[in-house]
Amino acid sequence: MRNLLNFLLKYINIIVFLFLEGIALYWLTSGNSYHNSTVVKGMQGITRGLEERISNVRSYLNLREINANLSAENSSLRNRIEKLSAREDLRFVSVGDSLFRQQYQYTHARVINNSVNKQKNYFTIDKGTLQGIKVDMAVTSGKDVVGVIVGCSGNFSVGISLLNLDFRLSARIRSNGYFGSLSWDGRNYRHAVLNEIPQHIIVNVGDTIETTGFSAIFPEGVEIGTVSDVKKSGSDFYKITIELFTDFKKVQYVNVIGNLKRTEQIQLENQLQ
Amino acid sequence: MINSIFRYGLIIVLLMLLQILVLNNIQFSGFVNPYVYIMIILLLPSITPAWLVLIISFLTGLIIDLFFGSPGMHASATLLAGFSRPFVLRVIAPRDGYETGSDLSMAVYGFRWFAIYATTIVLIHHTALFFIEVFRFADFFRTIFRILVSSLFTTGFILLIEYYRKGK
Repeated sequence: MRNLLNFLLKYINIIVFLFLEGIALYWLTSGNSYHNSTVVKGMQGITRGLEERISNVRSYLNLREINANLSAENSSLRNRIEKLSAREDLRFVSVGDSLFRQQYQYTHARVINNSVNKQKNYFTIDKGTLQGIKVDMAVTSGKDVVGVIVGCSGNFSVGISLLNLDFRLSARIRSNGYFGSLSWDGRNYRHAVLNEIPQHIIVNVGDTIETTGFSAIFPEGVEIGTVSDVKKSGSDFYKITIELFTDFKKVQYVNVIGNLKRTEQIQLENQLQ
Repeated sequence: MINSIFRYGLIIVLLMLLQILVLNNIQFSGFVNPYVYIMIILLLPSITPAWLVLIISFLTGLIIDLFFGSPGMHASATLLAGFSRPFVLRVIAPRDGYETGSDLSMAVYGFRWFAIYATTIVLIHHTALFFIEVFRFADFFRTIFRILVSSLFTTGFILLIEYYRKGK
């Protein structure tokens, strides 16, 4: 017994170290996976109050730029209404159901926590299940991709940012329709990489990259960025570097897009697989 | 005794606030992230028992993790820095050894000693932190580059703060 106590006293530092390091590493491995964002979510419950206050101050300082963006978006939307209403009038449609032909539902939200300097970046927005946000909804800023919601609480949601090594998105080249898989290589927050485009296709610098809508998360044709560099690697595929439209350092107001027909599509696909 | 506990408590709170409110918002070119909170571990008095240093490092890392939303990363890296502190202190001990009960500060042991001390601990901490963050050995040299650049900034910040503290 005395020997045991002596042993413990002698090695107390190493024992404390190994014990605490064990806790930290367990937390690290269990908390960091893509779908297991519950830990992140739970922790942010504690720090959220302070973060929201910091973000309030910051958004006040950026009002001028936000106003400019809003007015630009307003005008582009107004143009679109103009075009659409002209077309509607020709066909004399009258439908009572307000959801007729509507597949996507838009909610706007404010980003209250965000980062670009980690390898696995997440962001938090100020709306949650009480405002109709659900897991697997798409997040865009203006017309550009930002990320996907991975966890919700009552009034807040956490999303995985495009700037995350675990993020994958089906994307295509607008001019010819060939699609590949978009991911981030962890280097520069302004650039992402498009893979799986075969080398017999002609890709030009400046081509626009957009989403495909295959995943039933993003609508078709949401813009991601432009091709800034095309490399032929050893394999059969190009390595295409894309300059992102979204500047993740100043994302503040976002749209959350829910696909009203997603469940139907997923159910059908699961039945046949 | 009570007085010095109060003083270190104040230092800890101030450094935490600096890290969380100011430095966490600096995202300079995606490479440079100064983590000045590691100074909490540097400044603990030389008589602090090693197990207490470990517990303080763990709690520091834990709080930083809560604000970063990065489970366990900072806790494990800071813990490693706290664990290596006694060994580093032994290796770089001045010729006459440490005066009992003195602060491990620039004012007592001089600029050169403190710079070596800070650089060593910061390098250990950043190496652990950045490798845990990427969690793989692909892009090995890019990670090394990030470690070096960030260490440079963190050490610079720490020396600056310590220099002004000395002046007071």
